[in-house]
Amino acid sequence: MNPYLAGFLLGLVLLAAFFITGRGLGASGAAKSVVIETIGNIAPDYAEQNSFYASFFATGDGRPMKNWLVYLTMGVLGGAFFSGFMSGRAGFAIDKGPRISNAKRLIFAGLGGMLFGVGAQFGRGCTSGAALSGMAVLSTAGFLTMMAIFGTGFVIAYFFRKLWING
Amino acid sequence: MGPLIPQGFVNPDLNLFFAFVIGLGFGYVLEQGGFSNSRKLAGVFYGYDFVVLRVFFTAAITAALGLLLFNYMGWVNYDLLYINPTYLWSALVGGVIMGFGFILGGFCPGTSMVAAVIGKIDAMVFVLGLMIGVFFFGSFYDEFAPLYTSGDLGSVFIFDTLNMNREWFVFLLVLVALAAFIVTRKIEDKVNGLEPRQGLFAPLYVGPFLLMIGVAVLILLLPESPRAKWFETDAKTILTEAAEGKQYVEADELAYKLLNPKENNFVLVDVRNDAAFAEFTLPGAIHIPTAKMLDMGYKKLLQEKNQPVLFFGFDDTDANQVWLTLRRNGLEDIFVLEGGLNGFFYHIFQAENKPGKYNEMQQFEARFIERARDAFQSGEAAQKINKKAKPVTTIIEMEAPPAGQGGC
Repeated sequence: MNPYLAGFLLGLVLLAAFFITGRGLGASGAAKSVVIETIGNIAPDYAEQNSFYASFFATGDGRPMKNWLVYLTMGVLGGAFFSGFMSGRAGFAIDKGPRISNAKRLIFAGLGGMLFGVGAQFGRGCTSGAALSGMAVLSTAGFLTMMAIFGTGFVIAYFFRKLWING
Repeated sequence: MGPLIPQGFVNPDLNLFFAFVIGLGFGYVLEQGGFSNSRKLAGVFYGYDFVVLRVFFTAAITAALGLLLFNYMGWVNYDLLYINPTYLWSALVGGVIMGFGFILGGFCPGTSMVAAVIGKIDAMVFVLGLMIGVFFFGSFYDEFAPLYTSGDLGSVFIFDTLNMNREWFVFLLVLVALAAFIVTRKIEDKVNGLEPRQGLFAPLYVGPFLLMIGVAVLILLLPESPRAKWFETDAKTILTEAAEGKQYVEADELAYKLLNPKENNFVLVDVRNDAAFAEFTLPGAIHIPTAKMLDMGYKKLLQEKNQPVLFFGFDDTDANQVWLTLRRNGLEDIFVLEGGLNGFFYHIFQAENKPGKYNEMQQFEARFIERARDAFQSGEAAQKINKKAKPVTTIIEMEAPPAGQGGC
């Protein structure tokens, strides 16, 4: 799909989210819910002691999975699979730069995920929840987070070029 | 009209259903936009593929313009939208960490899920890493907390931070984005060693582009008057209401409702100061300081309820001021206790009250007041109400979500 058209449609989806719920979109929140649910199940004592998890169980009905962002993400998975399948893009694959091995790519993917997991907590949301949704409502946090993510990316890209390009 | 759920237009139970439907659209568009390929995503940092920038900026601007337009038309109340709070240092540190995550991992959380579900193994590993990262943050939350809460600026807007007019900011944002689209396209052609493509706008997206510029200009040129005032009540209406004393609820009515909790649909709001509220208040009443009445959390609470709200102070001066302010801000179904607490107690406990040769109506009233007096003195009224009394803490929770419950 043409990227501008995709962006326009994504903007309409975001607008619909605000119109209906008053909040934007998000993705990392679902990962957080899964972690909290898991910790709450396998180590309830620990979850009670730790203020990060405890604050989740203390409020609401104590069911982290019955969460707006979790259902949103289930929708994302469904919508993405439908799109990928219909466009013939579904299938096992690893996308990587030309100069690294599959194993190395997977290690870096895992590292990147971990960093995003930590960063999205400090940023109170990731690229979609903090940056995109934040920019849509013109919040300072949204623009700040967006500039920090992409600014950092551009500054350090040179040092990690082996991961992605030949140059 | 909107947002629908915070105003109670849509059954909250359908909330999760809407989440799923919106998610379907979100996932579909991301995948169609090419966000399921980490190499394509990383391209933005090396200049060989700017798809991320195009989709991201177009989406942000479309939604920002749409929200302003909806606000202007009265379809969405901007005051009720969730404006993510700015914690300066936490946001910067988080953004830098995420920048590293983006370069190393080639995904962001949303795109990784889109890619994982269509079989990208690197994306699956990324998602796993994401959860480990959250777990890591959670495990050291107490150590991270000082940084996490540092630089608290509240829910501020970028145009206020930059000291700019909102409409001009948005207009400039659109121009910056269009300039970025043009420049990045040139860079892309150069990096990929292609002949510079002719014609910036293919027919397919000339429409959305023109629409964007058009809306930005429109928002800039729209007359000032209705823009922020759509949700306000017309001054004349309020004046008429006040002249007729429509805002007043009499002591009798309140006493009746306090004694018959089943029929008591009032949310009682004490507008006196903290100390006075702590000392005593009406059973079941909540406390909102006058100065904070218009804060988003409280305003939402007062608006969200499908119940009438009754304000009271020692007399009715302060409550009337609150009523006037909130009415002007478009809140409906709000009332003032006539005579305030003093008037109420005087009426119930001290007023001359002699049944006898008066008519039936007056006798009935006298008997009622007597019963109310007994009920209040014996503490029966308080008992009845306390069952459904709402503690003040519910409001405070609404204002400040507990630690670690950020968006995304």
